[in-house]
Amino acid sequence: MKIKKYKVVSSTNLIAKKLRPEPWLIILAEKQTVGYGKKLSRWFSPKGGLYFSIVLPKSKIEDLQTLTILAAFIVAKTIRDYYPPPALRSQPTRPKKDILSFEPLIKLPNDVLLNGKKICGILTENIIGKEVKSSVIGIGLNTNIDKFPKELKNEATSLRIELGREVNNEKILKQIVEGIKQQLATISE
Amino acid sequence: MSYIRQTSNGVKLKLRIKDREYEVEIKKEEQDKFKIKIGQKEFLFREEEGEEKISFARASLPKRDFFKKELLSPIAGIISEIFVKEGEFVKKDQKVLILSAMKMENEIVSEFSGKVKEILVKKNQEVKEGDILIVL
Repeated sequence: MKIKKYKVVSSTNLIAKKLRPEPWLIILAEKQTVGYGKKLSRWFSPKGGLYFSIVLPKSKIEDLQTLTILAAFIVAKTIRDYYPPPALRSQPTRPKKDILSFEPLIKLPNDVLLNGKKICGILTENIIGKEVKSSVIGIGLNTNIDKFPKELKNEATSLRIELGREVNNEKILKQIVEGIKQQLATISE
Repeated sequence: MSYIRQTSNGVKLKLRIKDREYEVEIKKEEQDKFKIKIGQKEFLFREEEGEEKISFARASLPKRDFFKKELLSPIAGIISEIFVKEGEFVKKDQKVLILSAMKMENEIVSEFSGKVKEILVKKNQEVKEGDILIVL
């Protein structure tokens, strides 16, 4: 996996769009100054979080939408399989209804929620002329963020807050990218 | 100097349009078949044949209509940003607008270089696939 690392960027999607590099290159940043989501809404991107963009192979526009949903699914699955919140692990006798609220949920197709709060945002951007020229999928995952500003406190959360411990950003990055590639291979068979 | 002269089977004209002179001859060839000759070019058509007349009409369409370039919407969506103005010159592959569609942000880039003649959409407008967005 080829990763291009940056300390600070405007946004990993902006960099990826400008470079127009080969498919599957990862643009990774420790911090984004203008991280954004759908309709250019801001994405809180301080140091500690995981911010990356994946340059996608040339695809049809319908397939790109599927890929966006697939990415959300893989992020949720990665959290559940490798970073389950304590409530999911230690209390198997809890009523099912209760456990469900701790399961990572997908808010189709762009967000992943944990404990009812936004933990990950996904934005796919395409450049289209006569056909799709390039596509990039940007993922912002709140990993090691201790706390959020007042206005986001009730709607955003992080793995650090939910698990009570730090996680390894690059390890999660690899788990997500490998997960997406594998799933993609499975569905394209 | 312009003139119109009757011939045995039609008319001959000499027309002056702007700085050029044209010799035009209209004559009946046989039964319902007509020939119009402009300079060295000949156009044949039958009185009752609409198609032949149309092909003649086409030959006289103003040239610039053939060179009009249109940027079409590749998919249905909502225009979320427009980056160019009418009268502005755009280069090939220059970003002209953003179309939000299928929960993705799609940067539409111009397929051609040219002057923006007309912008047919507004911010927040819904568009269908194939709608004309911008005329160059």
